[in-house]
Amino acid sequence: MRTRSLVGVFVLAGFLAFVPSGWVQAQTIKIGINAPLTGDIPKVGEGTKFAAQMWLEDVKAAGGLTVGGKKVPVELVIEDNESKAESAVKAATKMITEDEVLVMVGPQASKQAIPAGGIANNYKTPMVTPWSTNPDATKDRPYVFRACFLDPFQGPVLANFITEQFKFAKAAVLYDVASDYPKGLAEFFKMAWERLHGPGSVVAYESFTTKDTDFSSQLTKIKNSGAQVLFTPQYYNEVALIVQQAHQLGWKNPIVGSDSWGSAETVSLCGKDCYGLFFSTHYAAAGATGATKEFIIRYQRKHGYVPDDVAALTWDAMGLVQKAIQDTGGLTGDLKKDRDNVRSALSQIKNFKGITGDMTFSGGGDPSKCAVIVQISDKGEFEFYKSACP
Amino acid sequence: MVIFLQNLVNALQWGSFYALIALGYSMVYSILMLFNFAHGDIFMVGSYIGFGVSMGLIALASSGLVAMPNWLILVLTILFSMFLTSFVGMIVERVGYRPLRDAPRASAAITGLMIGIILETGNLALLGARRVSFPSLIETTTYDVSGVFVTNKKIMIVVVSLLLAFALHQFVRRTRWGMAMRAMAFDFAVVPLMGVPVNTMAALTFAIGSALAAAAGILFGVAYPVLDPYMGILFGWKAFVAAILGGRGSVMGATLAGFLLGFTEIFVAMIFPSTLRDLIAYSIILLILTVRPHGFFGEPYSARLRL
Amino acid sequence: MRRYFRTPFSRVPLLGWLAGILIAVALERLAGAPLALALGLTKVPVLFGFVIMLKKPALIPSAVLYVLLIYAAPTAVVTRLSISPANRLAAWLVRLPMAIPVAVHLGLLYAALHIWAEISDYRVLVLKLTLIAVMVTLSLNVINGYMGEFSCSHPGFMAIGAYFASVFTVGLFVNDQFFGAVFLPQALGPFLFPIALILGGFLASFGALAVAIPSFRTRGDYLAIISLAFLFIVKSLIENLEFVRGPRGLSGQPDWATLPTVFLWTVLCVWSINNFVRSTVGKALNAVRDNEMAAGAMTVDTRRTKIVAFLFAAFWAGVAGGLFAHVLRYVNPSTFGIQKLAEVLAMVYFGGLNSVYGSIVGAVSISLLGEALRPLEIFKWIIIPLLLILVMIYRPTGLIAFKDLDVTALLQPKRKPEEEA
Repeated sequence: MRTRSLVGVFVLAGFLAFVPSGWVQAQTIKIGINAPLTGDIPKVGEGTKFAAQMWLEDVKAAGGLTVGGKKVPVELVIEDNESKAESAVKAATKMITEDEVLVMVGPQASKQAIPAGGIANNYKTPMVTPWSTNPDATKDRPYVFRACFLDPFQGPVLANFITEQFKFAKAAVLYDVASDYPKGLAEFFKMAWERLHGPGSVVAYESFTTKDTDFSSQLTKIKNSGAQVLFTPQYYNEVALIVQQAHQLGWKNPIVGSDSWGSAETVSLCGKDCYGLFFSTHYAAAGATGATKEFIIRYQRKHGYVPDDVAALTWDAMGLVQKAIQDTGGLTGDLKKDRDNVRSALSQIKNFKGITGDMTFSGGGDPSKCAVIVQISDKGEFEFYKSACP
Repeated sequence: MVIFLQNLVNALQWGSFYALIALGYSMVYSILMLFNFAHGDIFMVGSYIGFGVSMGLIALASSGLVAMPNWLILVLTILFSMFLTSFVGMIVERVGYRPLRDAPRASAAITGLMIGIILETGNLALLGARRVSFPSLIETTTYDVSGVFVTNKKIMIVVVSLLLAFALHQFVRRTRWGMAMRAMAFDFAVVPLMGVPVNTMAALTFAIGSALAAAAGILFGVAYPVLDPYMGILFGWKAFVAAILGGRGSVMGATLAGFLLGFTEIFVAMIFPSTLRDLIAYSIILLILTVRPHGFFGEPYSARLRL
Repeated sequence: MRRYFRTPFSRVPLLGWLAGILIAVALERLAGAPLALALGLTKVPVLFGFVIMLKKPALIPSAVLYVLLIYAAPTAVVTRLSISPANRLAAWLVRLPMAIPVAVHLGLLYAALHIWAEISDYRVLVLKLTLIAVMVTLSLNVINGYMGEFSCSHPGFMAIGAYFASVFTVGLFVNDQFFGAVFLPQALGPFLFPIALILGGFLASFGALAVAIPSFRTRGDYLAIISLAFLFIVKSLIENLEFVRGPRGLSGQPDWATLPTVFLWTVLCVWSINNFVRSTVGKALNAVRDNEMAAGAMTVDTRRTKIVAFLFAAFWAGVAGGLFAHVLRYVNPSTFGIQKLAEVLAMVYFGGLNSVYGSIVGAVSISLLGEALRPLEIFKWIIIPLLLILVMIYRPTGLIAFKDLDVTALLQPKRKPEEEA
């Protein structure tokens, strides 16, 4: 009796092993979204998710993505990376190997994009990070792309702008030492500035740690260092605090920022203190025209606030992905081959008209893209001031 | 000299936050011997409640039904929010701490930590990821005292937190309830035999601690008007450091330790390169504890601790 | 209930269970994919069907059926049928020198894990990180459970180990612009990798002196903030070290932390910590926890005991950190902050204080829960804390507290009740 049931089990197992596994499925394109929905920067995750969902709505309204003359349905696989490196790696591995996404969009912050980029590259899956400006994310990784410009480009742009605009020679920098983006940009700015004005021309180079809210000690130092301008490449929540506290400590000189200022919340949190300040960014919401304006209006109607740069860049990243998929001229059904095709299509994209500017890839993962200098107007809107191209 | 004085003013403001949060922490810690890791998040909840209340009051005032000047709105906001947040504290005590009163202390610390995470995530799920901007209830006026810049907000914050510390000190020293609390801190097992309603007192302790956290949260909102769901975490851990550094059972000790922490952070950043701030500030604290292993006003470790 | 589920399996030895699980995972390997397709699931459910159930509730019956057919039924059948041969084999094995039965059991366990994980790389990754979590949790339990302190410095120890091992491997074996050219050939790497881990562990132990020495004079709450200060110091120190690239993190670690490597290190860690806590020093630790003065009176050298425990725990945390860095192949200082601390503390107290079993259970269940509840997005971080609070309320010392691993007893065959009498 026992042996008989044992034999039965094995026979059953044998049968199952021979069930034909070439099950034909309806083909769908899966796109992974690796976003920090919880953790330090939930706002970034929210912007990513909303922009990606808006893109999906468009595709659905069109009845799917037209690839090679066929309409193919699209599905998003949204995973939370908890704003942690290890979780970003897990999420990336899961969506690539389990959900079998064709392309992954995200993670946003460099501290997740660098390790997740390694995973994407290992599995030969194209990845587009909309927001990570750290050079390491795409370096030596043919499958990793980004939709934004890099710190080594932005630093000199700002240094040149300040020199031309104000004719200043002494600058101060205040940045978050524990966060890679501000630290990287602060370093590139310092390098560019000292190349223009000689060593020692950055008279104060001060830092704080993520989640700090009081910068009075650093700002006191900066104020007494004789600096003529303060450069602070911080996120918008810190920008509000830094600018207000600087003014409360009697700082009257200009404060200049970077693309991380480019959020609608900068002004709503900072108020009048931020009026008249300059920063470099990917796009200017106030002076926007055409597709950019359309995107802003749609997003605002749906979610109640003006989209920040993360949302805009994610939208562009989705657009890049869409164009690359369509450029392949048709899906073969073989995931590995399709991923390769999408990768080479991505690296060949020329003059992509994104809402954050034109992008051209020349073989590598980094687009050449113009930066915009924006001034915050007296109405609290971001007004286009000038643009700087590589 | 001007730099020093300016930093002194900065440190006073920053230290008074730490002091105020450490005070609330120290209440629970001294009397119930609990690590209240949810305290930082109660601070966050208090701040958000303050935001809600002040928005409501502003709407009421601007609708013209009741005429209220802005300072009155601020005072009412502080009072209302302290009252409302004390209930949050009592709920936390009832759910997370009372069932664990006889358990190892560390287990209660873990429930506190978990309640904290629930409060953060709950806020995120309810209000979304937007950071909110605390309404500016009083107009900032900057006084320039021969190169040292002082704002009216800074003065108000320091004064209010010292007042609250003093009031709490008087409450614990002079009232019957305060006496009962000190008795509980002294010997938790015997106190119920003396007719002290331990459960009520524990709830009251949490209520007071949370109310103080709410006050700190609103003052924080006034000074640093950017609120986000995760803003309390670091404050909670730093208050933990300050409360213990101050010594168990000492309201003044916690206040002093809070100021000390603020002063260390500000002055280290003034003297040394600010990139090394945390490194040096915490090395100083580590050294202090190596030399004075029981904080400033604490009693030496005894086997009576309910571990 | 008891009659149907407990009694038939009461005489299954560990060997039988392992064999059953091995058969089940082998079955999944052979027949998992077609069965999943037949049941309407597109792929083999990756973590026992949880993810599928939460994402598409309509597929719950299929997922449950899959788990029953692939895991539950074969394991049950095989273990039930193999009771007598397994018992005979176990009885024969335990008569041999201890190392042989242990090796056989571990081999079976590894085989089962390997076959289970091989189906998908995601499983491999989750398994590796879970095993590392087991190491960290165990080593923290030595201090927080066995010694009864509340130490917050463990992520700091991990960071030291992770950075040291990364600098070692990246510097010597990878052509990196920060450390110059390759010194040693890649082929030597896997052999020198253990040295990197061990040295990282020693460095973490050395760092632990900063917490261990103050612990002579102070205890409890004050030690808790000393250890917290230590954590902040380590994080800030690494952020300021330019040669490991500060907050931007260090990437490009070679892929040497394979599943067998991580498994071996975990086994070593469990084995040595289990021996440690069952040794005289371990018992002395408990004595120091319960009453330091009395322990001193009973000729326990309290200082030596404390310092040994700290260094030992820090060593394993450092090794775990080194493995962690090589699994992710990227480290940055903000990984080892308060968030990590909360995670590890949760694992220790969820699993159970003063318990090797508990640490394993805590680490495995929290790691797997974290993955299985992924589809819930934000609400995951409400469900997991709620679960922990409930466990704390109903079992204040954790799920399985005060239980060491008794290897000899584990490996014994299970006799019939009448034989025992």
